[in-house]
Parts: sequence; C-alpha cells; structure tokens
Amino acid sequence: MDQTRSPHLMKPEDLLQQLNPTPTQKCTIGCPILDRLLNGGIPCNSITELVAESGCGKTQISLQLLLSAQLPTSLGGLSGSSLYLFSESPFPIRRLVQLSSAFPTLNNPLEKILTHPLHSAQHLFDVLSELDSLLLSREFSSDPPIKLIVIDSIAALFRYEFENNARDLKQRSGLFFRISSKLKEQARRFGLAVVVINQVVDVVDSSDGLRIGNWTYLYSSERKVCAALGLSWANCVNTRLFLTRHEERIGQEVIGDDHCVRTQTRRFIRVAFAPHLPDSYCEFVISREKVFGLER
Amino acid sequence: MQRVEMEISSLPISASLRGKLISGGYTCLSFLFSVSPSDIARDLKISENEALEILRVASQRRGSERSNGTSSIVNGAQSAWEMLNEEESLGRITTSCSELDDILGGGISCKEVTEIGGVPGIGKTQLGIQLAVNVQIPMDYGGLQGKAIYIDTEGSFMVERALQIAEACFEDMREYHGFLKRDLQACQVNMQPKDFLENIFYFRVCSYTEQIAVVNYLEKFISEHKDVKVVIIDSVTFHFRQDFDDMALRTRLLGGMALKLMKLAKKFTLAVILLNQVTTKYTDGQYQLALALGDSWSHACTNRVILYWNCNERYAYIDKSPSVRSAAAPYSVTGRGIRSSVSNSKRVKMM
Repeated sequence: MDQTRSPHLMKPEDLLQQLNPTPTQKCTIGCPILDRLLNGGIPCNSITELVAESGCGKTQISLQLLLSAQLPTSLGGLSGSSLYLFSESPFPIRRLVQLSSAFPTLNNPLEKILTHPLHSAQHLFDVLSELDSLLLSREFSSDPPIKLIVIDSIAALFRYEFENNARDLKQRSGLFFRISSKLKEQARRFGLAVVVINQVVDVVDSSDGLRIGNWTYLYSSERKVCAALGLSWANCVNTRLFLTRHEERIGQEVIGDDHCVRTQTRRFIRVAFAPHLPDSYCEFVISREKVFGLER
Repeated sequence: MQRVEMEISSLPISASLRGKLISGGYTCLSFLFSVSPSDIARDLKISENEALEILRVASQRRGSERSNGTSSIVNGAQSAWEMLNEEESLGRITTSCSELDDILGGGISCKEVTEIGGVPGIGKTQLGIQLAVNVQIPMDYGGLQGKAIYIDTEGSFMVERALQIAEACFEDMREYHGFLKRDLQACQVNMQPKDFLENIFYFRVCSYTEQIAVVNYLEKFISEHKDVKVVIIDSVTFHFRQDFDDMALRTRLLGGMALKLMKLAKKFTLAVILLNQVTTKYTDGQYQLALALGDSWSHACTNRVILYWNCNERYAYIDKSPSVRSAAAPYSVTGRGIRSSVSNSKRVKMM
C-alpha cells in the first residue's frame, strides 16, 4: 500500500510527487462542447463548485456527471462509481433514469450510483469522515472504485443553521475549512473528482460588492446575483463555475384580447475562477435526454 | 591623521568628488562603510550613481588592503557595503511583468520571505507557478538557473497550467536568443518545456501537521539540492483556518514555521514565497479585507504584496518592504502566464 495513504506512517519525503507532463485527469460532462470549455471536464484531485439559482440546471449537470463518471477512461470518464450526497429531498430518481438512456453503453448504471441524505453541515463532515473506509474498501473490491462525489447542496446545509453574529460566523467558517480539507484530502488520496453545488444571493448594493473571480456579480433571471456563503467559502474551492438563465422573448401571439408573449430560456455556464481555465463561457441546453453545450 | 587623509586623497576618483568627500568630513575610508549610498549622495549633494561609484572604488581599495593582512576583526561580520554587493549579485526572480518587477526593485528578492495575498481568482497560484518556472531561466538569459520547491496545500497546482507557462517562457527565451543572434553554438536553448516540470519539487500536503513536517524537512532536502532558489507555499493559510481549539497553539506553530523559513532563506540564499488568503475583519463598525492568520502573523514576513482588483484590472501593491517604497502596479493573467497589463502596455506604446 502506498505509504502516503496512512497518515500514521507519513514521512515528509513521501509527500514529494513527481510531476509528469500529462494533464490532470478529468471527468467528462458527457458533451464534447462543455468538455472543451473545461479543458476535458471536471478535474480530479480538487474541488469544483457549481453555483446557480434554482432552475439553471446545476442538479441536471450533476446527475449527468454521476453517469458519465462511469464511462471508461478511453471515453473521458473515470471508470468509477459515484456518490451523491443530497440535502434537498427527494432524490430526483426519475430524472436520473431519464438521463441514463443517453448512456446506452453503461450496464445497469443506477447500481453504480450511491446516494446518502444530509441533515446538517456537521452531519456532512461526519459522513465524510466515515467515508474513508468505504473509499478504501472499494479500491480492493470487485465493484468499481468511487471516483466522483457530488454534494447537492452545500449552501442549503449552511444557510439556516448559523446566526449572523461573530461567534456563529467564526464557527461556520471553521466548519467550511474542515469540510473542504477533508474533501481535498480524499480527492487527492483516491483521485476523486469532487463537485459541490452552491446557491446564489442577491447583490443589493453592487458598488461595494466584493469581486471574487472574473466579476462582482452576474445577471440571472434579471437579478444581480453572486455566490452564497461569502469569502471564506470561496477560499475552500479550487474551481468555481457559474450557471445563469435568461428569459428571452422570441415572439408574440394575439389570441382575441390577450397578448401572449412567447419566451425561451437560455442558459449559460461561465468560469468564475479556476487555476487552469481562462475567463470563458458557453451556452447550454437541457433536453429531455441530456444536458449539452451549443457551438458559438 | 596625515595617513588617513592620504587614504581618501589617493582614491582613483575625480578631483571634484574627492574634494566634496574631504570637505564633507569623509576623511577616513572606514567612514564610508558605515553609511548607505543614498546618505552619501544626500550629504554631498551628488547623484546616487556617483555615490555608488565612490563606494565601489573604496571597497576595491579596502579589498586589496585586506589581502595584505588587515582582515576584519570579527569573524563572520559583514559590512553594509558587502551586503549591498552581495544583494546585487544574488539576483532576483522576475515575475514576467516588468511593472511588477519595477516596484519590487527588480523582481522577487532572494534571501527574503515574501508574502503575497489576495482574493480567490486574483492570480496567487498563477504567480506561484510563474515564479517556479522563472527561477529556472538560465544564467545566459539573465536568470538564476535554479530549481523550485512547490508546497501545495490547496490542490490548485495544475500540471497542464505549469506546462503552458513553461512553454511560453521557453518561447520567450528562444525569441530572445534569435534576437541576439550571438554565439549560436554556446547559447542554444537546451531546455525543453517539460524539463521545467522536472525542476519543480512538488509536495502535496493535506493537513497542517504534514505542512509543518515538510517545512521542518526542507533544510535537509535543500542541503542535498543546493540549486533550489525558491520555495513556494500555496497557500500557507489553508490548513490553519479550520477551527483550532487552542489558538495559542496555532500562533506558536505559525511563528515557528515563519522563523524556520526565514532561516532557510538566509542560509541558502533563496526566495521564500508565502501565498495567503484574505478574510473580512470587523473593525470600527465595518467589515474590511485583511490578510488571514491575524496580527501576530503579520510580523512573519520581510515583504508583503497585496493583489487586488481595481475596476477590471489586477493590481499588486507593496504593503511592506524594508528596501522599496510602497507602490502599486497593474498586471494581468494571460494564457502565457503573468504579463504586463494590456491597457498598460497600450499606454506605453502610445507614448
């Protein structure tokens, strides 16, 4: 067994890693256009955050990832099973079944998706702490090892549990870093891709908003929004991707006295910050079968 | 007394400078070594270059005297002039942004600890990777031809990004080579982009205990790899922001680590770069941005650089330095790495 796996046997010289000129392993999103935006997909060994208001498609993208992670590495997947930790019940099982039809090569993919509900932020930390033994045992079992963890959503766990006073905020930020540190350690030890879903908050006074990443705020559904959970949490993720949606008028119908405006929802995914990606974006579509990007 | 005046009057410098020196009270050579060039320049109303020239000549004279047996009394003592001389020969690591190099006094200083802080996405890791690459620029190209230690505590070091930055650095070197077109044989760029990766000793640490263990191990490691010229910790903060039950312990651990790193920088004449996060701090009824790790930490570094957004431009600000004054300069993060700000180079072009 690799010595770095056991903290008790840790020697500093074991933490030295040879850098090979091969890019970091990525997990395909299941669409070549979206993969191109992300230079191959969701990177392993670090944390990628998906930020969006509801209805933008963050759960849709993560459900698709639970499936695409099972693809063989030759097709951009991780040849692994996936773990979905969710705070907002019920688990969208029907939608997952629908999306799985777009992956005909996968043999019984639902069997390789583990799920676990979350009740609180502390509960998430406890679940992660107990996960080590599962991650380790899967590496030596006949089942494919777990290669992707999705947490949907981190914001929901933190938003209502803590008061807006100095003591609670300090406690909250301590827990952010504990959770993030645990996730990063597991990502590194087991070569996992980790996706954490976050929500947005409205930007009231944009003049003194703090710029984190490529902008201070974005428009989504005509609202000025930025990522929830503030500056401390932003320090806990390696890559932040932002999803937005916009209603666009595509025509008008007059039926009798009623003016009926026909609209279409356009969705965009944009890089807020990432160590390996420039400021870039891509339009994407959620269809019945799958989530996919549009050529510009 | 007669002999002392002879010392100054026999210096091979211009008569007018010699006159100014003597009338300014600098009658003895040793007086010159207790003051800085700028002091002399101010005292004698001469330019700093002239003051430097005087010091250079005087030091040569003293050097020859020393070889005649008048060596310094205290073993290991160093005069200010020797320190200045040494600092100039140490060289600096370029950031690949000339405006940023300028405000840093020519680049990142070796032998010192420099802390660099800023919000997520401002380019801390980018600057860290850039320095790990630039420290390797061969001496023929004005570099240090050294190696780098990169201690990654956050997992943001991406090999493909390091390779991209190395490729751009390699191209720049080839371009420079073509531009000079001198001594083609001797000056070939015999480095490949992937060689840059091999010269980065990469440690991935997943806890504060691992971080401290690696920092304690560095002295042994560097004494076996003397060509290491920069140590980068990205970030020094991350593992120290989980709730420590014993804050006094945290302060002690951080203080001990800072001390070790300063000693390393001095002992092996290398640059230590500590990347830090920013946090909001509640003072005087409002929230303000401040570097993480608290007030006691703020004494741990010799130099401090803050990276921040100014409208749509990235800026670096010298917040603390013993040798250069506070100043700010724009920079940008491009596909090729850290570079001069686009709008800034446009301004330069227009002039």
